Amino acid sequence: MKSKTVEVEGYTTLPVQLPTLPLFPTLATHYLYIRPHEPRIPDPDSTRSLFIVNVPIDTTEAHIRHLFGTQLAAGRVERVQFEDVQTKKRAVATTETNLTQSKKKRKRETADDFQHHLDNITLPSTWDRKLQKSGAHAVVIFADKPSMESSLKAATKAAKRGTTIVWGDSLPSDRIPALGLNRYVAHERLQYPDRGTLLRTVNEFMTTFTAVSEARKREDHKRLAVPDEDGFVTVSHGPKLNSAAREDEMREIVERQKKKAAGLEDFYRFQSREKRKERQNQLLRNFDEDKKKLAEIKARKGKIRPE
Amino acid sequence: MSDHTSKRRKLSPSPENATASAPPKQTSKVTDKRNPTRGKDERSAELAMASGFYKSSFFKLQMDELLEGLRPNHAKQLSKVQDALHQIKSAIEALPDKTPQSVPNAEKGLRDAGLVVPWPEPRPSKDVKYSMAFAKPTNINVVGSFALKTGARNLESRPVDLAVTMPSSLFQEKDYVNFRYFHKRAYYVACMALGIQETANTLGFDVKFGPQDGDSLRPLILLEPRQAESSGPQIRIMTAIDPTLFPITRTLPLKSNVRQASNGSETGEPTPFYNSSLRSDAAVSLYHKSIYSATKKCESFSDACILGRTWLQQRGFRTPFQNGGFGGFEWTALLSLLFEGGGPAGQPVLLPSYSCYQIFKATIQFLAGRDLTTPLFFGQEVPVPSGVPVVYDGRRGLNILFKMTPWSYTTLRHEAAITLKMLNESREDNFDKVFILKVDEPTLRFDRLISFPKSFNGDTLRALNEQNALYKVLTRALGDRVKLISIASHAIDPWPVKSKQPKKSSQGVSVGLLLNAENVGRIVDHGPAAEEKEESASFQAFWGEKSELRRFKDGSILESLVWSDESEESIIYQILEYILQRHFKITADEFAFVGDEYDEHLKEHGDDILAYSSPAFQSIDEAFKDLERSIRGMDEVPLEVRHLAPASSLLRYTALRPTGPTDVVLQFESSSRWPDDFAAIQMTKIAFLLKIGDSLESSGTAASSCRVGLENESSKVINNAFLEIPHSSGVLFRLRIHHEREQTLLERNLKDRNLSPREREEAAYALFAYKKTFVQTPRLTQALRSLCTRFPLLSPTIRLTKQWFSSHLFAAQVSEELIELLVVRTFTQPNPWECPSSVMTGFLRTLHSLSRWDWQQEPFIVDLGGDLTPQVTENIRTRFTAWRSIDPAMNSLALFVASDVDTEGVTWTQYEMPSKAVAARMSSLAKAAVTLLRNKSHDMEVDDLFDTSLAPYDFVIHLRSKLFSGSSTPKYKNLAEPRAGMMHTIKSFVCDVQACYSQSILLFHGDDRCPVIAGLWNPQSVKSRSWNLKMPYSTAPSDAKGQVTINQTAILNEIARLGSGLIENIEIRE
Repeated sequence: MKSKTVEVEGYTTLPVQLPTLPLFPTLATHYLYIRPHEPRIPDPDSTRSLFIVNVPIDTTEAHIRHLFGTQLAAGRVERVQFEDVQTKKRAVATTETNLTQSKKKRKRETADDFQHHLDNITLPSTWDRKLQKSGAHAVVIFADKPSMESSLKAATKAAKRGTTIVWGDSLPSDRIPALGLNRYVAHERLQYPDRGTLLRTVNEFMTTFTAVSEARKREDHKRLAVPDEDGFVTVSHGPKLNSAAREDEMREIVERQKKKAAGLEDFYRFQSREKRKERQNQLLRNFDEDKKKLAEIKARKGKIRPE
Repeated sequence: MSDHTSKRRKLSPSPENATASAPPKQTSKVTDKRNPTRGKDERSAELAMASGFYKSSFFKLQMDELLEGLRPNHAKQLSKVQDALHQIKSAIEALPDKTPQSVPNAEKGLRDAGLVVPWPEPRPSKDVKYSMAFAKPTNINVVGSFALKTGARNLESRPVDLAVTMPSSLFQEKDYVNFRYFHKRAYYVACMALGIQETANTLGFDVKFGPQDGDSLRPLILLEPRQAESSGPQIRIMTAIDPTLFPITRTLPLKSNVRQASNGSETGEPTPFYNSSLRSDAAVSLYHKSIYSATKKCESFSDACILGRTWLQQRGFRTPFQNGGFGGFEWTALLSLLFEGGGPAGQPVLLPSYSCYQIFKATIQFLAGRDLTTPLFFGQEVPVPSGVPVVYDGRRGLNILFKMTPWSYTTLRHEAAITLKMLNESREDNFDKVFILKVDEPTLRFDRLISFPKSFNGDTLRALNEQNALYKVLTRALGDRVKLISIASHAIDPWPVKSKQPKKSSQGVSVGLLLNAENVGRIVDHGPAAEEKEESASFQAFWGEKSELRRFKDGSILESLVWSDESEESIIYQILEYILQRHFKITADEFAFVGDEYDEHLKEHGDDILAYSSPAFQSIDEAFKDLERSIRGMDEVPLEVRHLAPASSLLRYTALRPTGPTDVVLQFESSSRWPDDFAAIQMTKIAFLLKIGDSLESSGTAASSCRVGLENESSKVINNAFLEIPHSSGVLFRLRIHHEREQTLLERNLKDRNLSPREREEAAYALFAYKKTFVQTPRLTQALRSLCTRFPLLSPTIRLTKQWFSSHLFAAQVSEELIELLVVRTFTQPNPWECPSSVMTGFLRTLHSLSRWDWQQEPFIVDLGGDLTPQVTENIRTRFTAWRSIDPAMNSLALFVASDVDTEGVTWTQYEMPSKAVAARMSSLAKAAVTLLRNKSHDMEVDDLFDTSLAPYDFVIHLRSKLFSGSSTPKYKNLAEPRAGMMHTIKSFVCDVQACYSQSILLFHGDDRCPVIAGLWNPQSVKSRSWNLKMPYSTAPSDAKGQVTINQTAILNEIARLGSGLIENIEIRE
């Protein structure tokens, strides 16, 4: 493409030619929109990151590395954050900082410590290659700021000159799993992990899970034993019922009370009189509602007449 | 109200009516006094009216509207035709008399003037002794519904009837025999036609002859407005005679008035139709008077007539015998008689104080309840024919139902019984189904249709005889295989006065059958025992060589018929083919048969399976029972099993093809040892699944090793794992564990205020998925299992409907449970028909109900468990209104389908299943199907309904044909066991693409045999727009500054690479 489309709204537009297949031979150009990453709340990594919008759906970290490292030959990519997984990574990051703080304080492993471990125990993935949503964005974190800057420059230059960059071209095929039928065949296989792996994951998870809850209990206990700033010690009784069970119980009690209250309704004459009046009014109200309904039907379907 | 009653008294002079109306007069005084107080609150008076005299207030309001629209504007009508009527009248009166002359002379005289006398068959021979003459009519009157204001303004034309009373001087005493009257009448009519031709021409009318009420004995003059667009009505000029001209005793139903020339005695065959036809000419003025007095006596009479006419018209009943012989006139005459009697012990069925709804309902009740083949006499009893309905009006000497045949009468009673049921139903108001819906569409009404394009359609008397013979043969041949046989034909079309009368009706005869599903497939018919000589002889005479003497296991020797259950043709067709040839010499290519093709189509696409009781479904059932036993017997699993529930279309007999994994849901007895954390629950489930798998393997229930499969891996709160159990019978089960605490946890989670919108969305979705997988699917399965046994045709109908949806590429957007619910309603709420007794009616009525469903404004409510009370319905409607106000643009929910076991109504349709675009397409396809049905019900190809056009799509992905050929085992070595096969792969591919491009593409795909995936671009995304960080699709910079457009080529390239190995090519349509 020509130089006129090099920039949109402050984003550098980098055209990338998608590899064609015999089943769809039309030449297709994809556009990446690139600019320095400027999040609302800057983090230490943001100065050396690029923000890319509209990554192709088959983008992998290897693709991005290859694009900036080999095809543009500008900078080394440290890692890539894709749109979907972003929130989780951030959560991990916060626990990491907590971890370092708490390590200084205690020798013993804390509940958070276990929790972190627990979060990392996941079931094996059933896909060997995940897809991005169309139009999704990604944050590319480079090794350092200069690499980021030179990458952006290289991208702008390539866009201006109209250099043909083919997406994933000459990317070693063993680095990324193939798309197409093979991916689905692999999914069929991966969907059923072998028994051993599953059992191991489950056991590890459950052990850690127990450890977390025990550690939590211990910490709670300890906290309760410590007098607060006014010098009081909170007294607590035995094991707490978990709240879900309590909710059920509460509901039952409310229900029982309601049942008791019933049966005292027709006691006084004024009660039954009011009831009758209420019923009468209800009928009138219904009648008005019916009228409204009919008017509405007429407005929608026109006159009521046989088909 | 009350003052009307007093007025009415003055107007009704006849003494017997005076006694009937006396009691209301007394009560009216009481109401008179109360009236002022009532008048204060008009609304409550209206309410009282509505609730007392009508089905419900809403019903009444709708009926008022309907009547308002149907009451003819009499003054306007009159002003339009008055002038024309006057001119025609004076033209007729001015005609010169013609002296008696012989038939040839008379005929010649008219032929010279360019007119052919419309002689009824048989035409008079040249040498008859009586002569033809014309004389000035005694009088000319406007009669019928126009004059009496009992007509209804509807779509069909309402002619104005002009009755010309012929002078008695023209006739001789014996003219009632041997068509003499009808011949003279025909000549009279021809003379009038000639005489008014000029006047009619100047008034803009075409003069034609036509049979009066389909009766070719009585031709009449039709004046048709020349311009079709002119709103003036048709004018019919018919004849009448003085009521006393021929004595009533001569035209009693069983008199014989058509005699052989040789013997003049009265011992011939009775001629009831001939007699009544003659008598109705004599009774024109009498009925006019009696109906007039009825309208004066009862103020709601004319409204009741409008209701009755509408009801009859929607059911295809009209006055001509070809259309049932029960039309507006018969209805009106019957009402006027029912004011006099008809009830038990001669009590009147109707009272003048009734509201029009009460009259309507009482009359329907009368028709449904009173079997009129046991004759009903008003006045003196006379001998009447048997087997046909008789309401004999003694004073006027006419059986007012003389045009009804045994079949039309059974059909009428059938309809009346259904309508009565609808009126008595408190659950729904059914107004639409009683008055608005057109019920007479043959393919929706009957299970099988036979049509004879060339036979049984001669002139009236002959057609009547032939059709009677046909009815008798069909009734005997089909026996209890059918519940109802109905024959419909067409009268001879009106013909121009200058040409000869056509001998036959241009359209053929069609027969509709209602099948009795229990007996329809019986292979052997038992006839009489060999000892019963007479019966055997008659049986043999009827069946010919088809009847065989057989000895049965219980020792009896019976005449029997054996039909083939292996032939391509259904047994009904085999019988028809044989018996029509035998009795009428009609060969297979002289009649058409509709209905079997639907079963054939289902067999062709549904693995040759028709019934739910077929071995394929039963073996899955057996396997499930075995699995349940094994699971209950497990020792190694620490929790007690509470319930193993079937949760798959394979286990509710509704899968089109019985292949693929079969889902079941296992629930343990509740235990406090489950963790209170989503991830931990999922892990615990996996641990259980592994244990169950081990147990099943060791017990030998599973053929090979069970595998734990993973699903929904992106979420921690939705079920993550299932156990795949290859059962030793070859059925593949998928077992999931239902843990009810998940719901509580999810609900609590949703209440949490600290949740981010995204987490909240996920939790809401998880709750939705939980309810669907673990609560609603097992419930639906349970309900359908019992419904399928109750209605044997439900399962095949659902499967055929699924085939319809998938052949129109809806499989990716419309869940199969939704389709099941759509069909179930056709069976559990069949009004205004009876429950379908064939796949054809079941399927077509489902399409019909789909085409009428205004899904944007109405919920679809299904009675699934038999507990659909008005409260439940109300509850569902409230929920529906709430959904529409939450999501008025219908982004998340388009269709709302609820049932008594699932009042939430969104289980199968939320999250764009289907989206509103797809819902609209579904609706329009159903409408197109119904239109096709209406336009050609007899010669419609079934495949037309299932043929989908790829024209409306933007691009079409053609899948590789290799994927569909045979088993895929040898090809994919890397796949340890190709269980779910390629079908699952294609589905995953469609899901992947749809998920990646959810905002820009809509994909359409059929079931697992569909070789194409069709796609539409979202019209919103095709426009170019200014660049935005959150564009949900791939874009390319456009020419305008800062603008981008969707990058369709790049998207298709991505799809192509994603599906390489699956796709043959991608076709882009202009």
